[in-house]
Amino acid sequence: MINRLATLFAWAMAIGAALFLLAPLIVIAAASFSPTPVFDLPVDGASLRWYTRIGQMDGFWPALSLSLQLAAFSTLLALVLGTLAAIAIAQGRLPGAEAIGTFLVSPLMMPGLVLGIALLQYFRMVGFNAAWSALLLAHLVVTLPYVARTMIAGLSRFDFTLVEAARTLGCTYPGAILKVMVPALAPSFLTAGLFSFLASFDNYPVSIFLTDVRTKTLPIKMLQYIEEAPDPTLAALSTCILAATVVLLIASDRLVGLHRMAGTGQ
Amino acid sequence: MSERDHLVVRQASKRYGATTVLDRVDLSIRRGELVTLLGPSGCGKTTLLRLIAGLALPDTGSVSIAGRDVTRVPPHKRNVGVVFQNYALFPHLSVAGNVAFGLNVRRRPKAEVRAAVEKALALVHLGHLAERPISALSGGQQQRVALARALAVEPDVLLFDEALSALDRKLREEMQGEMRRMLRDIDATAIFVTHDQDEALTMSDRVAVMNGGRIEQLAEPRLIYERPASLFTLNFVGLSTRIPGTVVSEDNGTVEVDTPVGRLVATGGFIPGSRVIVATRPEHLRPATGDEGNAVNGRVRSIVFQGSRSLVEVGAGGETLLAELPGQEAAHLAPDAEIRLGWPVRETFAFPAPELSTPELAA
Repeated sequence: MINRLATLFAWAMAIGAALFLLAPLIVIAAASFSPTPVFDLPVDGASLRWYTRIGQMDGFWPALSLSLQLAAFSTLLALVLGTLAAIAIAQGRLPGAEAIGTFLVSPLMMPGLVLGIALLQYFRMVGFNAAWSALLLAHLVVTLPYVARTMIAGLSRFDFTLVEAARTLGCTYPGAILKVMVPALAPSFLTAGLFSFLASFDNYPVSIFLTDVRTKTLPIKMLQYIEEAPDPTLAALSTCILAATVVLLIASDRLVGLHRMAGTGQ
Repeated sequence: MSERDHLVVRQASKRYGATTVLDRVDLSIRRGELVTLLGPSGCGKTTLLRLIAGLALPDTGSVSIAGRDVTRVPPHKRNVGVVFQNYALFPHLSVAGNVAFGLNVRRRPKAEVRAAVEKALALVHLGHLAERPISALSGGQQQRVALARALAVEPDVLLFDEALSALDRKLREEMQGEMRRMLRDIDATAIFVTHDQDEALTMSDRVAVMNGGRIEQLAEPRLIYERPASLFTLNFVGLSTRIPGTVVSEDNGTVEVDTPVGRLVATGGFIPGSRVIVATRPEHLRPATGDEGNAVNGRVRSIVFQGSRSLVEVGAGGETLLAELPGQEAAHLAPDAEIRLGWPVRETFAFPAPELSTPELAA
C-alpha cells in the first residue's frame, strides 16, 4: 500500500516536473500564433502573420548567420580537439590525466558571466579585438567541455581490445581506428556535436561581452528586440528554433537512438 | 627446428619497466596441436600470447609461424586468429559483418566472403543468426561469433585469451568439449591461455604450466597431473598432500625422508640432509592394509561429500593429509575417528623445499 502510494507520488512528481519544464515552451508556441500584436493566447483564431515578419526584423539575417557560423565552427574545432584530448585521457598513460580531464570540463561549472568578463579583460590585455575571432574562441571555451565530457565518457566505455581485434584481423593501426573506433563512438560524436552546437547557438552571457555594433549573435539580437519592440515575432522565432531543435533530436534518435546518446541504454 | 614445428618461440623475454614478464621462454608447437598456457595471473601467459599475435614485441628472442620469422611483423600481416576474453566483437556490425570483417579487410571478392562467412557460421551453429546485431546475442553465442570471426580468415594459428572464462560454468564445460571437437575437425593449431586447470586438462594435447615468466613444465595433461615437475605445478594443478621433511638416505631414485608424520619414502634424488616437500595426490591415499610403501596414523578432521567420492582431511603430526575416497570407503568414517592411511612409493614425489639452500641432485 505504502509502496503503491510512493510510486504514485513519484509519478505525480515526474509528470509535474515535466509539465513545469514544458509549460513555457507550450505558451510561447501558442503565443506565436496570436493574431494581436501582444503576447496573447490565440483564443479567437490563429494567425501566421508573425512568422512572415521574422525575416523582416532589422539585422536578423546577419545575426542568424553569425550564430550558425560560430556554432558550426566552434563545434567542429571542439570535436577535433576534445576527441584527441579524450583519447589521451582515456588511454590513461598520461600523468595527471584525471586532473587534465577535470580542468577541460571545468568551464561547465563556471558562470557564463564570469567567463565572459574574464575573456573580455584578457582579449583587451593582449590587444585582440577582432570580434568574430574573439567570439569563436569564446565559444570554443564554452563548447569544448561538452565535447570533452561526452568523449571522455564514451571512450572510457570504449574497449580498446576492439582495435587489437581489428589489427589481428588484418587492419593497420590507423585502419583499425577508422574502421572500428570511429563507428563505435558514433553516438558519442553525435551527442557531443549536438550539445556543443546548441550550447554555442543559444549562448548569451559569454557572447554579450564580446560583441560589437556590427557583430551580434542571434540571442543578443533577440533580447534587443524584446526591449525595443515586444511583439509575437519573437515568439514565432523561438518556436522556429524549438522546432528545429526537435527535428534535430528526432533525426539523431533515428540515427543512433537517444538512449545510447544519453548513455542510459546499452 | 623440426619440420613438424609449426609455431616456435625461442628465448623470448619481455620486460615492463623493472618487472620481467617473460624470461627466456622456449615453446614449440606442432601443426594441428592444441596447447594451453596455464598459470596464475601475472605469470606471463597473456604476454606470451600477445607476442605470438604481434600485439606486443619481445625485447629479445624470436617468434616464427609456419616456418616464417614474424618477430618484427605487425599483427595484420601475421595471419593469426585471436579470440579475446571479452570477445571484442564490433558492436556496430551484425553477426555476419563481424565474421566477414577480416575477409573484407583483405579485399576478397564478395561471393567468396559470403561463402566463407556461411561456412564459419555453420561451423559454430549460428547460421540462422547471421543478420542479428551483436547486442541481441547471449554470451555463449557471442563467444561462437568471436570464434567464427577468427576462423573465417583461415589463420595459421588460433589464439584464445581466456576465451571461455566469461561463460557460466555449465556452458563453459559444454563449450570446452564442443570447441575441442570443432578444432580437431578443421585440424587447427591453437593456443589457449587460461588460469582454469580443468579447461587446460580437458582441452589440450599439451599443457605449459607457467610461473614467474617461465614455463615450468610442458607436457601432456596426464603427465602434468601425475608427474608434476615442480612444487608449483603440483600446487597449481589438482589437489595434493604436502609434508615438509629432511632426507635421511638416498637409494637408487628413492629417498627416505624424516617428516612430522614419520618416515616416508618418495621418488627423487636428494643428498641426505636436504630439506624437501613430500607430496602425493589424494586419490592414492587409502585406508592402510599393511603392504603400502608409506603409511600414516591420523585422525579424521573433516569429510566433504562429493557424490561418487568424498574428500577426507586427516590430521597427523600437525600436518594435513588429503584423501579422496570412493563413496563406500568413506561411508563409515566420522570426524575425529582414528584412521591409518597408506599410499604407494611410486606415487610419492619429493620436491626441494622452497627455502632450500642445500644442493640438489638430478631428480
